[in-house]
Amino acid sequence: MNDSEKLLHLKRLILNEDWNAAQRIFKRLDELDKELPGKMDTIVTKRLDKYTSEIPEKLGPVITQALSEEIKNSQDRVVDALFPIIGKMIKKYIQKEIAILQENINKQLRNTFSIFSFRSKSKKGTPKTIELIKSEIEQVFVIEKGSGLIIGSYTKHATVDEDMISGMLTAIKSFVEDAFQGGQQSLELIQYELYKIHIQNFSSYYIAVVISGPADDSFRSKLEDKLFDFSEQYMKGEVDKLMIANKLANFFAS
Amino acid sequence: MSVSKKIVLVGHYGVGKSSLIRRFVQNIFSDSYQVTIGVHILKKTVPYKGEDITLVLWDIEGKENINQSRTSYLLGTSGFVFVIDPTRDTTYQNLKEELIFLEKNYPKVPVIKLVNKSDLINIEEFQKVLAIQNLEIDFFSSAKTGENVENVFMQLVSKMLGT
Ligand SMILES: Nc1nc2c(ncn2[C@@H]2O[C@H](COP(=O)(O)OP(=O)(O)O)[C@@H](O)[C@H]2O)c(=O)[nH]1
Ligand SMILES: [Mg+2]
Repeated sequence: MNDSEKLLHLKRLILNEDWNAAQRIFKRLDELDKELPGKMDTIVTKRLDKYTSEIPEKLGPVITQALSEEIKNSQDRVVDALFPIIGKMIKKYIQKEIAILQENINKQLRNTFSIFSFRSKSKKGTPKTIELIKSEIEQVFVIEKGSGLIIGSYTKHATVDEDMISGMLTAIKSFVEDAFQGGQQSLELIQYELYKIHIQNFSSYYIAVVISGPADDSFRSKLEDKLFDFSEQYMKGEVDKLMIANKLANFFAS
Repeated sequence: MSVSKKIVLVGHYGVGKSSLIRRFVQNIFSDSYQVTIGVHILKKTVPYKGEDITLVLWDIEGKENINQSRTSYLLGTSGFVFVIDPTRDTTYQNLKEELIFLEKNYPKVPVIKLVNKSDLINIEEFQKVLAIQNLEIDFFSSAKTGENVENVFMQLVSKMLGT
């Protein structure tokens, strides 16, 4: 054993306690060295989270202030930008609401239908809602233009005086056509409570058809063809009131 | 099978057009004045030479001048009755011009010229007034008393049917 070895040995003997303590400290330091990054991470993350959650509160007012100023300074641009978007939203919303409404109506119509006419339902199966209220031709008047005198007429049920009806119809028609002198326009439809009066013009006369029920475009389009046919076949040469009345009855009674 | 004719009563408002038609068709008269808005149509069937003639009577709203009336109300007319009120000279001031207007736009359509409200005037006195103004009149009538009302329309029928 040389001197230095002897000295070390001596140190261990004397400083045994301190040595052990030192060793423990070193060991702890090593451990801390390994643990620290993990611990720091969680602390930093926590801080960051807290900070983020505070942004709206802390920065919000600042941003809002900036935005509102920006909007104020360029209102037109903002409106332009938002308009189509809002417009589309509103349109979509309304379309949806209307669809719902329509569906509700149809549902009610179907219910009504099944109560009132289950017989025809059982025959034809589920009815279309459109067929619910049938359009029917109640009266047909062939009326001379100007004088408003009847050339011929067909009536399902005899009702009010025909001469007066055709006179008044002609007066109303002339009034409307005079009042809206927009070129060659003519009155084509009068709606009166549950009735529609389809009016079709020919050169020296017109034909007015009183229809009960909805009388939608397709119904009126078919009627239009029918009236053209009628006019072509019978409204020529010497027309006699009685003859026209008979032809109308044949044509329209069903 | 009856023949139908459109007849239009023309003249300023308040002369008694509606009253004359009411008297002729329903044989009634009312002192209360109801303004005619637009047009009111009534009809009466009269016998003429063994035939039934249906008169479709157009009672149109009165205007200050005939040329202000809606042309379409006057179209297709077989006979006019021009009514004046002897108590209001504005209703016959322009009678000549208005008759010329009818003659020009509706040639060959007969026009009966009528002084209504004859119950309110001395007819002889008023005839002098007409003579001074060189106006010719066909009838003096009164919707109130019924005087001459029937005759006016029957005269028009015979003129329309050309006898
Ligand atoms: N006294 C009198 N009054 C009349 C006569 N005809 C009409 N009236 C009155 O005159 C006013 C106007 O009559 P109306 O027939 O409405 O005139 P219109 O505007 O030409 O249709 C009403 O108050 C009637 O009662 C008549 O022959 N005699
Ligand atoms: Mg009147």
